[in-house]
This record gives sequence, structure tokens and C-alpha cells, in this order.
Amino acid sequence: MDFKVKKSIAEINEKIKDGSVSVVTADEMAALVRELGAERAAREVDVVTTGTFGAMCSSGVFLNFGHADPPIKMRRVWLNGVEAYTGIAAVDAYLGATQPSERNPEYGGAHVIEELVAGEEIELRAVAHGTDCYPRKSVETEITLADLNQAVMVNPRNAYQRYNAATNSSDRTLYTYMGTLLPNYGNATFCGAGALSPLCNDPEYETIGVGTRILIGGAHGYIIGAGTQHEPVKGKGTLMVIGDLKEMKREFLRAAVFYKYGVTLYLGISVPIPILNEEIAKRTGVSDAEIVTEVIDYGVPRRDRPVVRMVTYAELKSGSIEIEGREVPTAPLSSFYMARRVAEELKRQIERGEFLLTEPVARLPTVGETKPMKQTRELPLVRDVMSREFKVVREDASLEDVAKAIVKGKFTHIPVVDAKNKLVGIVTAWDISLAVAFKYNTLDKIMTRRVVTAKPDEPVDIVVRKFEQFDISAMPVVDDEGHVLGMVTSDQISKLVGR
Amino acid sequence: MKLLLRFPSHLHERPYTAEIILETGAKINIDRAYVDAVHAEVVVDVPDDKARRVVELFKERGVEVRILKKLIVWDETRCVHCGACVSICPKGVFRFDADWRVTLDEGKCVQCGVCINACPMRALALFYGEGERVKQQE
Repeated sequence: MDFKVKKSIAEINEKIKDGSVSVVTADEMAALVRELGAERAAREVDVVTTGTFGAMCSSGVFLNFGHADPPIKMRRVWLNGVEAYTGIAAVDAYLGATQPSERNPEYGGAHVIEELVAGEEIELRAVAHGTDCYPRKSVETEITLADLNQAVMVNPRNAYQRYNAATNSSDRTLYTYMGTLLPNYGNATFCGAGALSPLCNDPEYETIGVGTRILIGGAHGYIIGAGTQHEPVKGKGTLMVIGDLKEMKREFLRAAVFYKYGVTLYLGISVPIPILNEEIAKRTGVSDAEIVTEVIDYGVPRRDRPVVRMVTYAELKSGSIEIEGREVPTAPLSSFYMARRVAEELKRQIERGEFLLTEPVARLPTVGETKPMKQTRELPLVRDVMSREFKVVREDASLEDVAKAIVKGKFTHIPVVDAKNKLVGIVTAWDISLAVAFKYNTLDKIMTRRVVTAKPDEPVDIVVRKFEQFDISAMPVVDDEGHVLGMVTSDQISKLVGR
Repeated sequence: MKLLLRFPSHLHERPYTAEIILETGAKINIDRAYVDAVHAEVVVDVPDDKARRVVELFKERGVEVRILKKLIVWDETRCVHCGACVSICPKGVFRFDADWRVTLDEGKCVQCGVCINACPMRALALFYGEGERVKQQE
């Protein structure tokens, strides 16, 4: 292609060295391209710095502890009670950010990583089977980051190009990796830095590739390839990155806990984009209004959750979006404030000549999709285990009728239906005892109206989760109209598991 | 002004709050209430101009009154300004400033506690007074 502006990375590096380089952050570039047009912006700007700061679960560090005397081939190793993977050489281990402690589920790998960066002392415990060359069977010691030979962060998947937003249509609060999702579309959360996000500014992966030098956790690091679940065709590219933990700063790396979900790592990443021509300049001029993502309903506990609507990052960042006629408050889980600081930090380093750009040695794939898991064992569905023999009572039934239904049938739970045979409640043997004890004499005084139900095509695992969540032992299986099709009980499922 | 009222168990039966509203004409708003067999705690919001009189009247009746100046503790050194607290707060306590930094409007807080667990950095805690801990519903 014939460009009006032509620059090379080597030329830009010369400008960085002599201090004449012109650097802007990606949000400043969006304004410049709007104002001056891509060609003039390309003449004026040499480097655009991007930034993101958010939860990056697929992160961790390779650690080398050095050899003990007598030496040990660690079979299992724990750092502050958090297990690291040691199925590699004798004293190498990989500590994953989301690995929970065996003592406290609110403490995990990310906390150990943050504390290492902060220079704190970490308790190390390892066990082994003992060999002729590694006779030792256990070791306990305290270490700090300075004591380690290497501590290298290698993250299989970071810096999602864009990610879906989350909401919740169900009638209870959900605690997810997308934060607290209030019932009945009570809120919507989203992540990613939008127009500041690295891959959004280079969606064709023209300059961001294998070998690109980046800022990761405040340290210089590199992109080593496309990340896992890299899905360019859907605009959901990801990066695999590496960086030296010993050079990282705590302000750009934080352990986090998602309530009732688990531990993760918040990490700041900044990727520079050399403005080699006006086309690249144009793409770095992307604005939040042009980046579209899906709002997904996490109220449906399946892989293919329904898309509630499409939305732009500009709408998400406005503070509310409309869902089914309602104004739903929105808020990010990633920090725009920190994303900007990360981008500004890289800008500062380039301006001071402390950071030179690299030529990528290979491009990231621009094709490829993420497949679902191949499942070779059939997952039992509710319809495979539910009992089709059941008794229902009408809402105007007497307590004697209910008691008889319990005695005659084999269920302690009796669904209550209206004149159109639709489920309106449930009554149990316990409720009948309650009625006898307190002399209640009508069904409406004792029945439960908010009934937890199952659908025939739901996997049994979902029902098991509901049993645990609501502390119940049986539920009616209903069709979409609320007609009772059967009953499913925890006993039936126990039998299935024991099979 | 926010007041934390502690009702000793023998005072449960009488409608003191209603009496005081009628007597002072103060538009008292109940932010939060916790009642069990031996214990009752209520957080109320009282217009500033009537607060002194309202405090006096509760105290006269044997209710323990604590003025809540601080409602929530925010550890700014832990906060990364992500915004996980912003959309879940029913009262709009948390907002973003122009630089996308989280700011707090503490006066709006009713100590419902939703934000405490929602904060991924564990940077928020409810404040009940030095060394105090009030009962909280799950």
C-alpha cells in the first residue's frame, strides 16, 4: 500500500534516543485523529501508548528456589499455604494467581505474588519422595523475592481485546468473576479499558506481535505470542506475556478477591504502538463509541448464556444502559484511572529514552476460533432422572388432602397448582407438622410460594447446585408455562452418582 | 445527621421513635434496623436542625444514642478505582470523578453493607465507632 506517511521502528527509536520523539496516550490520540485527521496525526505522533488494568486470572510466576542441602526434588510445594505446580525440575515451580490457599479461600496465589513484590517474607513448605540424587523428603523455610534465583511472570492469557458485559435476569444476587450481579437486571458490570485497551488500537495486529516490548506490572516485558482463547475473528484477541517479577512494582499489580468466586490478580499492561503510517494512526484513533460488546445474562448458568443486547463502551461508561425498558446502572471492574496511569507511565519512559520499541519477530494469528470443550461422556439431564409419578394438590385443597397425598405417594414435597394446572407453590411434610403444631387450617398459610424449580433439559449438575444453594432436597420439574412434569430429589441424584 | 440508636430489650414495646417524631415534627428516616430477642439497633437520619432535640428525647427514654459521623472506612491505599462498588450501591454513595477516580459521598450511606464484599481489593469496611461492631444481617 502506498502511504503518505512512512516511518520505521528504527527511525522512531533514533528519535527516542535523541529525545525528539512525540508520544501520546491512546485516548489523547483519539482526540487528535478526530481533530487533525489520520494523516496529520501520523506526521505529528510517533508512538501511541495503550493501557489496561484489570483482573487477569490467567497469570502466574515461574519461581526457582535454588537447591537445599541435602537437595530435594519437590513433589509438592506451598507458599504461605498456596500450592504451586512443581511437575517440572527439582526446585522450579509455577504459582498460579487464582490458586486458593488451603487455609483461607480469600487468600491465594495473587496475594503471594503481591507480597513477594512488596519484599515480604513468604513461608515455603515442600515435600518429596526422596531419590538417590535428591534424598531429602521435606523442607520448610522462609524466602523473599531477593532470595529467589528467578521469579518470572508468564501469563498465558492477558489483555483481552474486549470482553462481554454482565447482567443478571434471575431473582437472586449472583457472585461472579464479573463481580456482584444484583437480581432482576439490578446492575451490569464490564471490564477492559475500551479505547485505551492495547489490542483495540491495533485490531489487525500489525505492530503488536511476538517480541513486542511492553510494560507489565511496571516492569519491561515482552509479548511471547497470542494468548489462550485468542479469538481474532470475534475481535477477542488475547496476549501471552512475560515479565521479570523482580522488576515489578506493587502499584501496578494487586491481589483481588471476588466474593464467593475466588482470588485473582489485577495487573497493569501497556503496549506501545509505533505510528508507522496513517492507517495505523487511524486505527489508534478508535473511540469508545466504536467498540461494541455483548451484554450477557449470567442468570443462566450455562456455557451459552443469552445475549441481552449489544452495547458500546461509550454506553457502558455513561453509567447506565437500557435493558428491557429499564435503566440499569453500569460500572467497570477494570480501573480506567489505573489504565491511564499505566499508559502515561510508558509514555514517560519513552519520552525519557528509557524504553525502546522492538520489531515484532512474528505476527499474532488473525484467524482462528475458540472451540467449546469436547465432552465424550453424556451429561445426565433432569428428564433422565426425574420421577414422572408425583402428586399435586390444588391451591384450595384441605390439609387432609395434602397429608393423604404425602402418605399415598412417595414424596414428602407436594406441588400446589392453580385451576389451570400451573405451579403456584409447594408444601412439605414439615409444613403439615407446622400446621398441626400451630393449628393452621388452610394451605395458603403454610405453603411456600417462591418455588425453586428445574427444567427437563437442564443438566443434573445445575440441580445439584440449586439443592446446595437453597438447602432443599426436592423440586418440581416444570415446562416453560409452569406445568408440573415431574419431581427431582436429591435421593435420585445420589443414586445416579453412586452408579 | 445519622444516629445509631440502641434500644435495651425492656424498651421494645413502646413506639418511642413515633412519639419523638410527633413531638418534634422531625422527619426521621430509618436507614437500617436490626431487631432480635434481646437487642434492637436502628440507624436513623435526622434533619440537622432538629437533631439535638431528638438526641435528648431518645436519651431521656433510656435509649443509647451514638452520632455516626463516619459510616464507612475506605482504604485509599488499597483502592485501585475499579468501580465494582459503583453500580451495586443502592444509594449512589460511590461515583467517578472526571479522572475516573472513585469518590465517596458518605452522607448517603445507610450501611447496607453490599459494597463490602463487592470490593475486590477489600478496601471497604463499615464503621461503627472505635472498636465496635454492630450486628449485621447477611
